[in-house]
Amino acid sequence: MTPLHRRAFLGRTAAGFGLTALQSLLATNTAHHKAKAKRVIFLYQAGGPSHLEVFDHKPKLAAMHGQGMPESFTKGQQIAQLQGKALLCFGPQHPFQRYGKSGTEISSLLPKMGSIMDDACLIRSMWTEQINHDPAHTLMNTGSILAGRPSMGSWSVYGLGTESADLPGFVVLVSNGKGGQAQPIAARQWSAGMLPSKYQGVKFQSIGDPVLYLENPPGINARMQQDSIHAITALQRLEQQALGDPEVQTRIAQYEMAYRMQTSVPGLMDFGSEPASVMEAYGAKPGDGSFASNCLLARRLAERGVRFIQLYHRDWDHHGGLKKGVELKAAEVDQATAALISDLKQRGMLDDTLVVWGGEFGRTPMSQGGDGRDHHIKGFSYLLAGGGIKPGITYGATDELGYEAVDQPVSVHDFHATMLHLLGINHLRLTVKYQGLDVRLTGISGEVVKGILA
Amino acid sequence: MMEAMRFLGLYLLVGSQLSGAVSFNRDIRPILSDTCFRCHGPDQSSRMAGLRLDRREDALQARRSGAPIVPGNPTASLVIQRIFADGPRIMPPEAAHKVLTSGQKSLLRQWVAEGAPYEGHWAYQPLERRPGSIDGFINARVQQAGLTSAPPADRRTLIRRVTLDLTGLPPTPAEITAFEQSGDYDRLVDRLLDSKAFAEKQTMLWLDAVRYADTCGFHGDNAFPAWPYRDYVLNAFHQNKPFDAFTREQIAGDLLPNPTREQRTATALHRLTRTSAEGGIQPKEYLAKYAADRVRTVSAVWLGGTLGCAECHNHKFDPYLAKDFYAMKAFFADIQETGLVPDRGKESWGRQLLLPTPTQEARLAELDKVIAAVPAPPAYQAREPHWVVQTPVQQKASGGATLQSDKEGLVIAAGANPDHSTYEITLNASGKDWTHLGLEVYSDESLPGANFARGSDRLVITEVEALADGQRLEFSVAATNTIFSTKDLPAGGAIDGQKQTGWGVNTYGDPRAAMLSLRFAKPVSGTRELVVRIHHDSAWRRATAGRFRLALSTEPIAEPIPIGTKVPKLPPEVAEREAAFLTGNLDLFRAKLERDLLLSAIAKVVVTESGKPEVTRILPRGNWMDESGAVVEPAIPEFLGKLPVQGRASRLDLANWIVSKENPLTARVFANRTWRQFFGTGISKVLDDLGSQGEWPTHPELLDYLAAEFQSDWNVKRLIRLIVTSKAYRRSSVPTPAMLQQDPENRLYARQSRYRVEAETVRDIALAASGLLHEEFGGPSIRPPQPDGYLAALNYPIRDYSATQGPRQYRRGVYVHWQRTFLHPSLMTFDAPSREECTVNRVSSNTPLQALVLLNDPIFVEAAKALAQRMYAEKTFAGRINLAYTSLLGRPATQAEIEVLRGLDTKTRAQLTPATAADLLRAGETPQIAADEQELASLMTLARAILNLHGTVTRN
Repeated sequence: MTPLHRRAFLGRTAAGFGLTALQSLLATNTAHHKAKAKRVIFLYQAGGPSHLEVFDHKPKLAAMHGQGMPESFTKGQQIAQLQGKALLCFGPQHPFQRYGKSGTEISSLLPKMGSIMDDACLIRSMWTEQINHDPAHTLMNTGSILAGRPSMGSWSVYGLGTESADLPGFVVLVSNGKGGQAQPIAARQWSAGMLPSKYQGVKFQSIGDPVLYLENPPGINARMQQDSIHAITALQRLEQQALGDPEVQTRIAQYEMAYRMQTSVPGLMDFGSEPASVMEAYGAKPGDGSFASNCLLARRLAERGVRFIQLYHRDWDHHGGLKKGVELKAAEVDQATAALISDLKQRGMLDDTLVVWGGEFGRTPMSQGGDGRDHHIKGFSYLLAGGGIKPGITYGATDELGYEAVDQPVSVHDFHATMLHLLGINHLRLTVKYQGLDVRLTGISGEVVKGILA
Repeated sequence: MMEAMRFLGLYLLVGSQLSGAVSFNRDIRPILSDTCFRCHGPDQSSRMAGLRLDRREDALQARRSGAPIVPGNPTASLVIQRIFADGPRIMPPEAAHKVLTSGQKSLLRQWVAEGAPYEGHWAYQPLERRPGSIDGFINARVQQAGLTSAPPADRRTLIRRVTLDLTGLPPTPAEITAFEQSGDYDRLVDRLLDSKAFAEKQTMLWLDAVRYADTCGFHGDNAFPAWPYRDYVLNAFHQNKPFDAFTREQIAGDLLPNPTREQRTATALHRLTRTSAEGGIQPKEYLAKYAADRVRTVSAVWLGGTLGCAECHNHKFDPYLAKDFYAMKAFFADIQETGLVPDRGKESWGRQLLLPTPTQEARLAELDKVIAAVPAPPAYQAREPHWVVQTPVQQKASGGATLQSDKEGLVIAAGANPDHSTYEITLNASGKDWTHLGLEVYSDESLPGANFARGSDRLVITEVEALADGQRLEFSVAATNTIFSTKDLPAGGAIDGQKQTGWGVNTYGDPRAAMLSLRFAKPVSGTRELVVRIHHDSAWRRATAGRFRLALSTEPIAEPIPIGTKVPKLPPEVAEREAAFLTGNLDLFRAKLERDLLLSAIAKVVVTESGKPEVTRILPRGNWMDESGAVVEPAIPEFLGKLPVQGRASRLDLANWIVSKENPLTARVFANRTWRQFFGTGISKVLDDLGSQGEWPTHPELLDYLAAEFQSDWNVKRLIRLIVTSKAYRRSSVPTPAMLQQDPENRLYARQSRYRVEAETVRDIALAASGLLHEEFGGPSIRPPQPDGYLAALNYPIRDYSATQGPRQYRRGVYVHWQRTFLHPSLMTFDAPSREECTVNRVSSNTPLQALVLLNDPIFVEAAKALAQRMYAEKTFAGRINLAYTSLLGRPATQAEIEVLRGLDTKTRAQLTPATAADLLRAGETPQIAADEQELASLMTLARAILNLHGTVTRN
């Protein structure tokens, strides 16, 4: 039995969940094949960034600005807020520019990201199936629109365990943009679904304790907490001796880990040890909860062995005020995204860290209200770097108006299959039995996108 | 090591089945289903080589190269040849990622050699009532395995087990003592089954199954009126409503003759789907989602089937066809609903039922008469309102908040953010005869929820008082410009002298400046100093105004139109609503105010209303945009039979069939789920799938026995009594080495099981043992305190959280407000499901975050304090420890345990200072008893340690 099968086997047994001691969660090198990436940092741009202003330059769309969108594109297609409205072409609102040796063309609002394009692969042919935020997020995270399926971070930790003895294997950070277009994000997006909650993403809070209930109650100092945990452990051992229940052993280990989290998280969150140059490179200010600070925190989590780090940056939902809105978002993410990739590269970590930048869908080539774009599922872009991704390339394309991914389209399942592949997992074989099915992240489809592998 | 042992144990179990004849259902179907049916099963679209193995006649059919199965001749059977083949001919092929073990191959060969008999799938076979007993069936298997059953559990263990299982609460020390003395188990079971706590425990599990929650789950995840449905379930279990009636009422209560309110409330079942109010949804897509949810829920809860899998294709393993999915969906096509379900305003949440008490109902009728008797007011004539903005002379606030004002009269609250605060603003009112006081409250992006209050999603001003030179002034009428909040928070609520009522804003989307206009009963003249007191005393914490202005007017009628509004005119609906204010009719004003408050106090629940059924089509590959599929009529899955109905079958026909003798599934499903409550696993472990991919039951005769008993009278309490009075239920849970080796998962029940209690029970144990528990049966949900910012990722509106105050915050977990997208963190951490989907099989994990909850979540810290205060009354150290142990673990502590805690006591006291002891004892709202603070604080850390024990959260 390969380790992955073993874990799946245990998962099927009645009380199997939780019976594995903590140590087995720490196991590494359990993959189906040699992994290129040890970890993922997913810079999730929530709300649906407009590929047409950010990554996918369409001069033809500019030429057709204000004209009717040809019906050949839109007939019989899904449509969100533009239901029943006139569909008019809406040209790109910002110029594009070529960057680096690869000459990859992206928005001129993203000069810093431009400087790392030779390290990145730009997919211009993503497509999805869900046109509203909540289901689209759910599909992008879990491969299904049904609630209750594990998210990709949970699958990764379920498959590979974690390398950190004192931090969760899957950490989620959320930052808000300043544009006031922040759509809600449900905890379902990082849920372990039908897997046990130990595989769940742990969302760090931006106010109060970063991890819920991390801080001791008023009146309990660190020493007292330690004494209490020692006493609890001693009492558990007595019970363990009397009953031989292996779950007691697991619980003892969990209290030890809880205590280690209590002592290690404050150090993790304290940026005091970072040189001023690093803080400046990211544009991070301690405690501001910004995307920039979260990018730096992501690197610190990666250094500490966290398997899957997902940053949500909200506020990309530009139904209106698109031009200014994208400008604002670009300013919020450009520098920090580039700094994270450069920093990882400098530390020799980019080789085994997969960085992903993208959202739940794209935006229509058609105008909404004269200054915005509606939700769009048939074509959008994703940026990937490191972790076994071929650098300095673009992959796939949308049609001349940026409507549909026509060249080498990449589905959400294809993306998931590729991500798991880089982590050393065959997406067809990482399964869990649920309601009679061998449920997997990629549902019933998904192929590894070989063209973007290094 | 443990894993190896567990694997070995299972292998031995399987191995023991090898002796004797092969049983198709037990041994062969699971193999075929898991490894072959995907390509050689019921789904035609994925069938390979035209071969199906799920039906004997097909499997025996000769082909060019021979027959797949030749009964009695494994060597000639193609299937056997291929599974033993090497290289590319091997079945299943490598691409399927399914590997047959040599044991499985041997079983298949033996089965073919024995004639390849097929059996109908066990769960679909008719159910017959036969004599038998739980212990008879269990003991036979235990003996067969060569095991010896564990001895009975001691009385202390037994009373804790059965009390936790039946009520979700631990027994009190007094109950334990009484049972230790009497040993009268039957009476104990009677008492527990009769208790309301029994209904609460059953309700908790049922709510998982029917995906009950308090919020809609998509987009803004706003709260909708569902709790009366929970009351329905509570009462049904408490009164032991027969399960057939329970089923009928929920699925089709509205279609029963002259349905009662209770029966209509039950139909909320179909309205508990997640719904969306996101602009830009495609209504058809969401209607398809809601309907599919109903099919999944009804089929999982009542049929133990995964019919949901057939939304896009014929089922791969079970005989469900895509057509069956849509025929089931067609039963629900009469439910009146919209794709976009508004989450605010008049149309919010669609069809609802009002549930007034008889008194409320009578009063409502009286008020309607009063209001109808008032002649229609003249049409509204807009006037230019004339407000004189007041710059405060001084301002102050209670509770640590501070107020600052600027020259434009804008007052901004800052400083501490107390739950309640009274603002006192002094105005210089000399010189004029004032008729009205105006209060404008401004929204601001920085404020949560509706953006008006400092720390709640709503603003509630419970009373506005005015004093002229020390004399209290009367107000006559009040009006407001708000649109969405007026039933709950009417303008008159601020001048009716009642703390429970108030004016304010409780949802987003109201005007940016909410204005209240109050008319003085007599014009105020000759006053120098006017003191205005704005009270915030509502049940909502921190529902306090953040930014506001005061104004005065000398007009006879000063409308609540914010100063500087571009079109100084009331919206028509506001004008109509505020007719009493505009006409000055006091009787009308009072009657309307009372009516508004009464309506907001009347419970409401979303219900199913039947209408002309929508046409239901098969959606090819589940694609809601594809309307090319055939139209289907309501029908039960074809292989389960046909409803004896002329014309279109209704939901009531479906419900009647579900609880008929013709349907063997429901009783099996329910009996299996019920068994799990008392032994930790189902007799068939996969609770939501009794189909082919489910598990062959460990004790098929036992399951059928229980199911047939249950089907004979649908008596839930009788079924449960049958289980808990068995000897098997009452055994010790301590395993012998032989049990651990041969049956590590305890599937043979030679002993009882040990497992962690559910999330709600973790909470309830702490509340009950510490004496904090507030017992109140039914009613609206409560919001226990939770960390600030926990809902920060929500929007529409931006959310803050106002924890319930007073004793109700200590209610049981079953009453906790179920926020689907962000479930209360302590519940979520202990594996409570989000209830976005039907869940009948909660998982149980063991994580460091659970340790942090038990150690540091304020409610558990407060429980430690309350428990310590109880312990303090005991004289000896051992007595104190034993009280905590007995309350939490149902047994006294051992000497060794007492010594460990004595050590902790010594260490803690060395660390505690008077200041830290006081900090610790400040936990929660529980008043502190008179005691030596150091001693009590140290006891609190001991109670906290015991609350954290595995044994405390384990049922054994």
